[in-house]
Amino acid sequence: MSREPTLDELIGAGATGAEREQLQKAHELLLQAGAPPELPPQLLKPPGVEVARRQRRRVVKRRTLALLAAALIVALVFVAGYGVANLRNGQSKPTAAAVLALKGTALEPRARASLVLWHPYDGNWPMTLNVVGLSKLPPQTYYEVYLVRDGRILGSCGSFRVSGPHALTVKLTAPYALRRGDTWVVTRQGPGTKEPGETVLEPVST
Amino acid sequence: MRKDKGDMELAIQVAQPRLRAVPQEPAPAAPDPSDAELLARVGERDREAFEILYGRYVRPVFSLALRRLGDRGHAEDAVQEAFAAIWRSASTYRPERGAAGGWLYTVARNAIVDRLRRNGPTADAELPELASVEPGPEQRAEDSYVSWRVHRALEELQPREREVIELAYWSGMSQSEVAEYLGLPLGTVKTRTRSGLARLAAALEGESL
Repeated sequence: MSREPTLDELIGAGATGAEREQLQKAHELLLQAGAPPELPPQLLKPPGVEVARRQRRRVVKRRTLALLAAALIVALVFVAGYGVANLRNGQSKPTAAAVLALKGTALEPRARASLVLWHPYDGNWPMTLNVVGLSKLPPQTYYEVYLVRDGRILGSCGSFRVSGPHALTVKLTAPYALRRGDTWVVTRQGPGTKEPGETVLEPVST
Repeated sequence: MRKDKGDMELAIQVAQPRLRAVPQEPAPAAPDPSDAELLARVGERDREAFEILYGRYVRPVFSLALRRLGDRGHAEDAVQEAFAAIWRSASTYRPERGAAGGWLYTVARNAIVDRLRRNGPTADAELPELASVEPGPEQRAEDSYVSWRVHRALEELQPREREVIELAYWSGMSQSEVAEYLGLPLGTVKTRTRSGLARLAAALEGESL
């Protein structure tokens, strides 16, 4: 972020005396600490007890078993993280700020997607797009994710390609000050064009 | 589609609905066990206690690892190793020798340093500082510990307090924008920020940190 907030801006001038001193200290520590990093899906759940035991074996230099354990860790973590990400479990940390369901337009009627918006850091809103059913595009064409506000495209949040209609997870970022009511669409971009192309995924109406 | 030259926005027809905040879980009513109690249970191989402790400390540990290692992949590995070390050595924790938070910090830091050594001297985060205006090792250590304590204390906030604190400090939004984003009156946002800061200050002064 470009400017640090002051305590007065955040809470007003109501607190005085010892209370204000206490709040000021917490305020300064928050500024000094900075934002906690976004937690990767692999770390949403603790390592298994077996993992811990196998790591102990590595410490005592049982190299072969340790390598097997490491491979198991990677596999378990990947599976757990992938599952958690797909389930979009709102009770896990980090909590998603919002989840938006998208459906294919007439151009891609079989396409479906969900856009998970994570809590921001440094003014950036990490997003995870889980999409399935989009068609593979010709060379030099791609899909673009646009932020939409009040019915108008505000800006791009990133682009991606697919090699077929299978499920794909894409990490994106919205470097904007988001507002309640913001939404997103996915467009199909032709070669050399900077204007938003035809919309292929749009929010599901409720 | 049509582009408005003035503000780079383009006309487009989109269906509703709009972005809405995900409902947060209410805070549990029962008093939470202290870190020291959890460590004692972990020492007896209590898996549930380990998971609670993990939930409280995974973000501070990851933050610390990221600061020291400078690489998300290595930091993720270091977190796994740090919690494996906590699982193995929890039974050695003695409350009379110091707060559980400090003990956990030491175990996590040691696991991260081990990872740093294994990565070798090419790790960017450990390059020697040559006539640098960057903070020295002592200052960095202090900053790391402050971040550790603050990020741990954030876990103590109610979700609605934590949400406004994170938005107010790190999203780049003004309080008015936070209020608009959350669909809350500005006064409510400021009240939650104030109560969150007060709870954070109390947590930071607590012995367990």
